[in-house]
Amino acid sequence: MATSTPETVSHPEANIWLGEFQAILQGAVGGFLFGIPLLYTVEVWSIGAATDPLWLLVVLGATLVGVGLLTQVEGFRQTLSLHPLEALLESIEAVAIGVVCATLALVLLRRITLATPLSEVLGKVVFEAVPFALGVALARSTLQGKQGRDRRTTAPLSPRLVSPTLSNLRDALVDFDAALIGAVLIAFSIAPTEEVPLLAAALPPLWLLLIMAASLGLSYAIVFASGFTDRAERRQRGLLFSPITETLVAYLVALLASLAMLVLFQQLNPSDPWSEWLSNILVLGLPASIGGAAGRILI
Amino acid sequence: MDLPNPPGPTPPDAAKRFTQRSAAEWVTFIAAAVILLGLVGLILFDWQTNQNQPPAFAVTVSEAVRVTDGRYYVPFAITNTGGRIARMVQVTAELNLEGTDDETGEQQIDFLSGHETKAGSFVFTHNPQGGDLVVRVASYRLP
Repeated sequence: MATSTPETVSHPEANIWLGEFQAILQGAVGGFLFGIPLLYTVEVWSIGAATDPLWLLVVLGATLVGVGLLTQVEGFRQTLSLHPLEALLESIEAVAIGVVCATLALVLLRRITLATPLSEVLGKVVFEAVPFALGVALARSTLQGKQGRDRRTTAPLSPRLVSPTLSNLRDALVDFDAALIGAVLIAFSIAPTEEVPLLAAALPPLWLLLIMAASLGLSYAIVFASGFTDRAERRQRGLLFSPITETLVAYLVALLASLAMLVLFQQLNPSDPWSEWLSNILVLGLPASIGGAAGRILI
Repeated sequence: MDLPNPPGPTPPDAAKRFTQRSAAEWVTFIAAAVILLGLVGLILFDWQTNQNQPPAFAVTVSEAVRVTDGRYYVPFAITNTGGRIARMVQVTAELNLEGTDDETGEQQIDFLSGHETKAGSFVFTHNPQGGDLVVRVASYRLP
């Protein structure tokens, strides 16, 4: 398990820019994991919009302090020992990544448009940046928490089931199980709220394509940032599918979970038009697919 | 920086990078500092321009009345010309007609930030061009 091929070891340091890009990507992914659930909270938007500018500075400062404390022990880079000044620099970077990710997410969900006044934009960005920045600071431990995978295995029912293909298939099924659990967990907590129809109603028709692209991109980025695209690592984990296939199937799993949760909470009725079904499922599918990706990492 | 690294069993990043930041990390830091300073600057700018401007409203009623199924849809737009946010903005429309009863419409807007514009429509059963239409803001709440 500890041995890996030489080319995979030298790869991350071959180019400092690539390594840095991966660190930032990992931070951003951690931010989205923590930030997306709070993004689906209408109160955060309205409180952010109504807050005094000086109070926003206080919130920003408090975020920096909180992230600074986390960076002492965590962080989004792989570095394990750190000068105190470097910890300060890294926490400033973490908050900035959080701010950028929160802004992108707010634009994606049309909470910030070109018509939004500046003060409202600032309020929403600062408040939504808090969970994103904390997620960035926790990225390393969140995304790499499962280095040695100790999964429970059940004995095969018959000796025929131990062939390599079938055990690979079983591992793949376990992965989709994990995606389903993560997706259901997130979708269950967001489906009963009024944010889903609220967000869905505010989207222009073609914007749904952007939401789909973002869901797939984030889901892939989470898998990528946690090193699952590494071929040796994947073989070691016994993954059957290519990362893209896995992302696509996991997204479908997330959409099914969204559909199931929306029907369960009676947010969608047969009398609703199909376009409402589609937009609600896709809007809830965004956090669900992130939850699914988190599930694949953590379980 | 770009020295070839001897492949070995040690984790690749741990050994070298933390003693000094790489150029890539400095670029990240500069970009991050610019983003955060820009955000703080915008917040201070917003505070400077909007701190002493209470909400005020301008309501415009469009001339482009739409008629569908015998009902008249009158579009309106309301702008908060002040700097601070207003909640529960109540917009009322009164259509005074000669000969028949007056028609009224009401609209409540949850949030209207400073300089924000929101639009909607009032629906009447009589032609608003045949009477006197008054649209005004009746009340609002501070957050």
